[in-house]
Amino acid sequence: MLTCDEYHMPTTLAEALALLQAVPHGSRLVAGATDILPWAREGRAGDVNLPAMIDLSRIEELQGYEVAGGRVRLGANVVYQQFLTDKALRRHLPGMPYCSIWFADDQIREQATLAGNLVNASPAADGTPPMLAHNAELEIARLEGSDIKRRTISLADFVKGPGKTDLGPHEIVTAVICDSLDGYGGSFQKVGQRRSLVISSVCAAACIKMDKTGEVVEDIRLALGGVGPVPMRLDDIEKMLRGKQLTAELIARASAKPAERVASRTRRQYRRTVVKGFIEAAIHEALEDCGARVPGSAEREDAHV
Amino acid sequence: MSDFELEMVVNGKSIRRRAKPHLRLLDFIRDELNLTGAKEGCGAGECGTCSVFVDGKLVKSCLMPVAKAQGAKVETIEGLTPHGNELTPVQKAFHKTGASQCGYCIPGMVMAATSALRENPGAGIEEIKERLGGNICRCTGYTKIFEAVEIARDVISGKLSIAALEPDGAGKSYIGNNVRRLDAPSKVSGRLRYAGDMVMPGMLHMQVLRSPHAHALIRSIDTSEAESLPGVACVITADDVPGEDGFGVFVHDQPIMARGRVRYVGEAVAAVTADDVITAARAVSLIKVEYEPVAAVFDAEEAMQNGAPVVHDYAPDNVVKHIPIRKGDIEQGFAEADLVVEQTYDTQAVEHAYLEPEAGIAYVDHDDVVTVVSPSQNITHHRHMLAKIIDKPINKVRFIMSPVGGGFGGKEDMIYQGMLALAAMKTGAPVRLVYTREESIISTAKRHPARITYKMGLRNDGRITAVSFRMICDGGAYGLSTEGVMRKAAILSCGPYNIPNVEIDVYGIYTHNTPSGAFRTFGAMQSQFATESHMDICAEKLGLDPFEIRRINMMQDGAVTHTQQVLGSVSMGRVLDAAEKACRWDSGPVGMRGQERNDLGGEGTRPPCTLGARIRKTGDDDHQEVA
Repeated sequence: MLTCDEYHMPTTLAEALALLQAVPHGSRLVAGATDILPWAREGRAGDVNLPAMIDLSRIEELQGYEVAGGRVRLGANVVYQQFLTDKALRRHLPGMPYCSIWFADDQIREQATLAGNLVNASPAADGTPPMLAHNAELEIARLEGSDIKRRTISLADFVKGPGKTDLGPHEIVTAVICDSLDGYGGSFQKVGQRRSLVISSVCAAACIKMDKTGEVVEDIRLALGGVGPVPMRLDDIEKMLRGKQLTAELIARASAKPAERVASRTRRQYRRTVVKGFIEAAIHEALEDCGARVPGSAEREDAHV
Repeated sequence: MSDFELEMVVNGKSIRRRAKPHLRLLDFIRDELNLTGAKEGCGAGECGTCSVFVDGKLVKSCLMPVAKAQGAKVETIEGLTPHGNELTPVQKAFHKTGASQCGYCIPGMVMAATSALRENPGAGIEEIKERLGGNICRCTGYTKIFEAVEIARDVISGKLSIAALEPDGAGKSYIGNNVRRLDAPSKVSGRLRYAGDMVMPGMLHMQVLRSPHAHALIRSIDTSEAESLPGVACVITADDVPGEDGFGVFVHDQPIMARGRVRYVGEAVAAVTADDVITAARAVSLIKVEYEPVAAVFDAEEAMQNGAPVVHDYAPDNVVKHIPIRKGDIEQGFAEADLVVEQTYDTQAVEHAYLEPEAGIAYVDHDDVVTVVSPSQNITHHRHMLAKIIDKPINKVRFIMSPVGGGFGGKEDMIYQGMLALAAMKTGAPVRLVYTREESIISTAKRHPARITYKMGLRNDGRITAVSFRMICDGGAYGLSTEGVMRKAAILSCGPYNIPNVEIDVYGIYTHNTPSGAFRTFGAMQSQFATESHMDICAEKLGLDPFEIRRINMMQDGAVTHTQQVLGSVSMGRVLDAAEKACRWDSGPVGMRGQERNDLGGEGTRPPCTLGARIRKTGDDDHQEVA
C-alpha cells in the first residue's frame, strides 16, 4: 500500500521546483501515478510510506503541445490517449497511435503520461522506441536561486539503464521535444503475454517515408526496446535502407541484423528469434500506413495460403 | 499526516470531505461515500473492476490518488441509474444476454461499455473489444458481454427497436429457452453487495501475518508490541482457539492459524484486528516470530520416498489419499497388444483468479451466535467444522453465504473464516477481512499439479487392450479437497473409452507447496489432458485418424465403466460427430494429409487478436480532439 505524509498539487512549475527542493529525501514526483501505485504492493516494493508526493498533473505550463519548425513540443502532462484521439498529433507523430493502442488500456492511457513513461526508464517501455525514432529530446527544468533554468538532452543520452536516467534530484522533465514526421507511415510491434495491459517482452517502432515513386526509401527510422538494458535506435539498418529501392530481399536482410544486438539477461534466444520477424513486420506495417506498396506482399500471401 | 480538503461532484451531488492524501479514489468512493459498485479486483490496474468516470474520462480508480479528482466530476456505476431510474440500455442489454454470472466484474464492464459507446456510438465489434481490453472477466465469458454492447449500441442509435432489450417470450420449459437471470439487475447496476462491500457499525479490520518459510518450527510468537499499538483491538494466534482446531473438506488437518509449525509460504501465523486496515497492517509488522526452518519437500514424487521430510505426523508416508482401481487382467491385456505406448504427462498448479478476492465479516449477535458472512462455497460444512473449533454448540454458529464473486472451487475451503470468528469473539465487534489479490494468490488453494505415467496397449486395428495409469498429484501442505479430487481423477482417468484391462493408481501427496484443492473439473482436467493427448499419439503411431481411434474405443449405450457403473445412454458418438463437423475436420491420419490443411480459418473460427480498429479507419471525423 502506498501512503504519504504530504500530497502536493502545485499549479506552477516554479512552485513545483521549489517544493522539490523543500521536501524530505525520498519524496517522489508523480504525473499519472499509474506506475507508482502498483509498485507499492506486495511482491514489488511492499508497503511504502513516502514523506511527500508532488503531483505535476495540475501544472498549466506542462499541458498541451505545440508544433513549430518541424518539431513537436509535447508538454510533460500529455497523456497516451491523446496520441489516439488528437488528429494533429496523429499526423505529426505517425508511430504514436500504434504505440498507444498497445500501451496498457483505455483507462490507464487517460492518466499515464509519455514523459512519465520515459522517466521511469524501463528497458521495455513502450514509449521509448517510437520517441527514439522521432529523435526526441527531453526538456528539463531546475531552480537556480529563484530562476528556472532549462536544459535539453537527447532521449538516447537521457536513459542510462533500467530505471536509471540523467535526471538530477531537483529536476523536473517539462517537455518531450521530437521531430514532426508528417507524411511518414508509422507502426509499432509488441510481444507480450496478453493484448492489453502488458509490459512488452520486445517492442519495435518504425517510421517510413517513401519518395515520389513510392519505390525508394526517402527516410526510415527504426528503434527496438526490450532487448537490452536500454532501448536502441537501429542506425545501421536505417543506413542499409535509406535511399534504396525497397525489395523483399533487402528488407529480409536488414531485418536479420538486430538479432545480434539482443543483450537481455533473460530469454535471449527467444528475443533473437522474435526480433527478426518484428523488424520486417514493423517495416511492412509502416509502409501500409503511408499507403506504399509492400515489396513481396503478393509472394508472401502465396506462401501462406 | 495532514488531511486534504476534498471537493468534487459525485454522481451529480457536491461532496466535501476531509480525507487522507494517500487514499486512492477507489478507497474514497467505497469507504467514505459507501458507493461500492466499483470493486477492487486487483488493486494494480489490471482488472478494470474499479472503473469510474472522472471528468467524463473512464479511469481505473485504484490507480488514481484521490487528490487528482479534486474539483472533478466523478461518475460511478451508481450514477448511471440514480435511485428510482430504470436501467440504462447498456445495463438492460447485459441483462438480456445474460452477461452477468458471478457479477463481480460486471459494474466495471458496464462502465467500460458505457465509455466505449460514449466515445464512439458507432463502434464496431473490434473496437468494442479493444475498448473493453482493460477489463477482465473470469466466469461470464466475453462473448455475451460483447453481444450486449452491440445490442445496446444498436438500440441507442435506433437501429434496433427498444423491444430488443425485452425478455424473449417464455417457453413452456426452462430447457431450450432463454431464461432471464433474476439477480442480473443487482449486478449490472452495481447494487449487489459482496462481503468486501459490507459494512457494520463499529466494524474493525483484520490483517494477517503470513509465513515466509515453507517449513519451519515456530519457537515463539511475541505479539506484545503489536497489541500495544494504538488502534489495535486484538491479536490472535493458534493459542486463542478454544476447541478442537482443524478444518478440511475430508481430513481436518489444517489449523486456523499455524500451530507450532508452518508448512507453506503464505500460511497464516497470526492476525491483527484494528480500527483500520493501515493500523492493522502496521501491527502485523510488529509481531515477532522466531522460526526454526527445517527440511522441506517440494516434489510429490520425492515426498513419497523413504526418508523424505514428513509434512503431517499422522501420515508418515506423506500420502493424503491413494485411490487404486483394478479391472480385468492387466498383464494379459498388454500381452494381447500389438503396440504399447508409454508417456509421462505433467500439469502445473493453476490459480482460480476469481475476480472477487476472499473477504468476510464476522460478528457475535445478540443471542451469542457467532456469525460469519463470506462467499463460502460450502457453508454447512464450514459451520459444523467451526462449531468444533470454537467449542460452541451448532445452534450458536451461523454462516451466511454472501454473493460469490467467482469461486470455481477455490472458495470451498474455510481458509480465513475461523480467524474472523475468533477475532469477533475476542473483541465483541464486527470484524472484516478483505484479501488483497496478492494474498489470495499466495495463500489459497490451487489446481493440483499432476504427473501422469500412461501406458496403453493397443491392437493394430486401434482397439485398446489395456491401460496402466499412474497419477501423482501434489496436494501441497494441507488436505483440503485432495481426497475427492483424487477419487474423481481415478474414476474419470481413462476417459469415455471401453478398456477391458485397467490398472489405476492415483495418489494425492503432501508437500510443502501451497495447498491444492478443488478447481473446476475436480481432477478430471489433468487426467483427460493425459488421456486425450495419449489417444492422439497412439493414433499417429497406428496411422489412424484421431476421430477414428476414439470411435473404435468409445463407450456406447449400456457400457460399463471401470468402476462398474452401467451407463444407460452415452452421447460420445454424437459428440464426436458434431465436433468433427463443426471443426470441418480434414480427415485422415496425422501426417498423411499432405502439405496443406483445409480446416483452418473459415466460419466460426476466431482470427488472431489485433488492435487498432479505431485508428485503422480512414475517416477521422468521429473523433473529437481532446480539449
